[in-house]
Amino acid sequence: MTTLSVKQALNQALHQLMAADDTVIVVGEDIVGGAGSGSAEELGGAFGVTSGLAARFGTARVIDTPISETAFVGMGIGAAATGLKPIIEVMFCDFMGVCFDQIMNQAAKMRFLSADQIQLPLVIRTSMGAGDSSGAMHSQSLHGLLASIAGLRVVCPSNAADAAGLLKSALSDPNPVVLLEHKGLYDLETDIDPALPAVPIGQGKILIEGAAVTLVTVSAMVHHAVKAAKQLEKDGITVEVIDARSISPLDSDLITKSVAKTGRLLVVDEGAAFGGFADMVIAEVAQKAFPHLKAAPRKITPPHTPVPYAPSLEQNWLPSTPDIIQGVKDLLNA
Amino acid sequence: MHGKLLAIYNDALRIRAFEKAIGVMADAGHVPGLVHLCLGAEVLQATVCNALDSKTDHVNGSHRSHGIALASGASPFKVAAEILGREDGLSSGLGGTQHLFAPEQGMASNGIVGAQVPLAAGAALTAKTLGTHGIAVCFFGDAAANQGAVLETMNLAAVLSLPLLFILENNGYGLSTSSSYASAGVNLTERAKAFGLESISLPSNTITDQIEQIHIAINTVRTESRPLFLEAPIPRLTGHYHGDAGNFAGDTDTVPDPLLLLREFLDAQNIDTASVKEQSSTEMDEVAGRALRSQAPSPQILDTWRSILGATE
Ligand SMILES: Cc1ncc(C[n+]2csc(CCOP(=O)(O)OP(=O)(O)O)c2C)c(N)n1
Ligand SMILES: [Mg+2]
Repeated sequence: MTTLSVKQALNQALHQLMAADDTVIVVGEDIVGGAGSGSAEELGGAFGVTSGLAARFGTARVIDTPISETAFVGMGIGAAATGLKPIIEVMFCDFMGVCFDQIMNQAAKMRFLSADQIQLPLVIRTSMGAGDSSGAMHSQSLHGLLASIAGLRVVCPSNAADAAGLLKSALSDPNPVVLLEHKGLYDLETDIDPALPAVPIGQGKILIEGAAVTLVTVSAMVHHAVKAAKQLEKDGITVEVIDARSISPLDSDLITKSVAKTGRLLVVDEGAAFGGFADMVIAEVAQKAFPHLKAAPRKITPPHTPVPYAPSLEQNWLPSTPDIIQGVKDLLNA
Repeated sequence: MHGKLLAIYNDALRIRAFEKAIGVMADAGHVPGLVHLCLGAEVLQATVCNALDSKTDHVNGSHRSHGIALASGASPFKVAAEILGREDGLSSGLGGTQHLFAPEQGMASNGIVGAQVPLAAGAALTAKTLGTHGIAVCFFGDAAANQGAVLETMNLAAVLSLPLLFILENNGYGLSTSSSYASAGVNLTERAKAFGLESISLPSNTITDQIEQIHIAINTVRTESRPLFLEAPIPRLTGHYHGDAGNFAGDTDTVPDPLLLLREFLDAQNIDTASVKEQSSTEMDEVAGRALRSQAPSPQILDTWRSILGATE
């Protein structure tokens, strides 16, 4: 066991992937940093995830780009279709708005439209999440939006082992995979296996077993949910906490089995209040576990507004541990 | 002319004093996120906005637009309160430093690099369609110049002959990346020429020439109702955001501080600049202090917005 932050685990996984396969390239804005500045210092990306890669593997494989998301994301897709294994960094998932055609029409559809003649060993790494007053265009959680596009795989790790392990699986997957890394989790440390074993895409994980309520969550909200479950346990309420990890494909088996046991579902998510991950999970459960339900499934999400800037508003906007505790109690009384 | 120069100097000084005050607030932990200060761009922003008419003209800026807001006539107190995330802010603290909206002054800024440029084309189209004789101005950085949205808009504005002034603030860097690395081709002015735009690269050493050329450019866009491109050299006096290590800051030897150049020019004409300098820092320190005393926005505002934007209920 070794103690690594999410950022460090991702960095080490990137080192391992690049060392193991010469066709792996890493591309993005300021991922080396200081290009053309005359400074030998590396920035290693806005969040430092790619640090040290250029020094070790060279700037032919670790490529800083102009601020041209459409061009470099598209280039990554084209390279994936023709023999490379690109890991593309989009600094904030909000910036996918700039290059959405490449993601939605090009990456997502190529395997299908070519009838599997072309597969895409492509990973798009990006950051997500609110909580640091970055404002409405640097704070979104777009995993639900991306997961609604057939052809994309979408994963949201909540810890270092899953971040590194999902990155590895993502690169060997024949589909383009979007890996959404929560900004608020980059420095979160956990004890993990230093080999950073691959974590299969499409498998959720039961973090805490419980009998009263199934609580499905993902990314940073996992940590609020675990805290809430521990508090509720003191009141004799046991909550089964599931970290979905993968948004698409969703591990609906794991979720429906849990609901068959508890009869109650609460989804906690930082994404969209309407048509997002929470609604997807509720729809799955409503269709597959309806006879087991003792109460209507519920969700806790931010309100259906853009992310506000003021810290007081942003904290109010985000679901909190007390919100989750209350949500579980309300569900039990429903 | 000297009266005009003194007015520009005064506006530019006020912007610098404002940014310094915001920097102090940020160091004291009162600015919630990262702020991008516009140190070095004050004279350009003041010169342009001074020559605009807020009743008919529109100006859009990037993530680095505090100065444009002030120069457009937005209340410094409201801008400061927005940056601090307070209820007296331009948008009650909803938007923040990168998303400044002052529609009465015809001003807006943007958090997505390059996104403000097509929006400015829209303002130019409105002015043209309604026959207001207004113009639109967009400010963007040398790194934004590589965004498809920016390049597409240059073409579109030329094709539709929109009264749109493109102003490229070239500080040589986008975040940590030098434009010598990120931008191919001879230079960005030459690139704009390829779209058929009249394109001017402002001189970095003679500040009065710079100011005069900006005035001529604005006049041309207005009277001839066509787009024009200006490239302005901007010294990068701080790093990308306030408080970053600044290891990738630019080289001020090649691009002198325009505010200093303007003061030297005015001093040489025996025009008193000392008193305005004093006034601007007193004003902005007071403004920042007042913004700090403004309340946090009421959480009710989220309920209001939820009912305005809600997809259900
Ligand atoms: C679409 C998009 N990509 C990347 C960013 C992150 N980012 C913010 S400012 C910036 C650099 C912009 O440089 P430039 O346009 O030269 O403006 P400057 O900061 O130098 O004023 C970057 C990469 C962003 N906000 N939006
Ligand atoms: Mg720049």
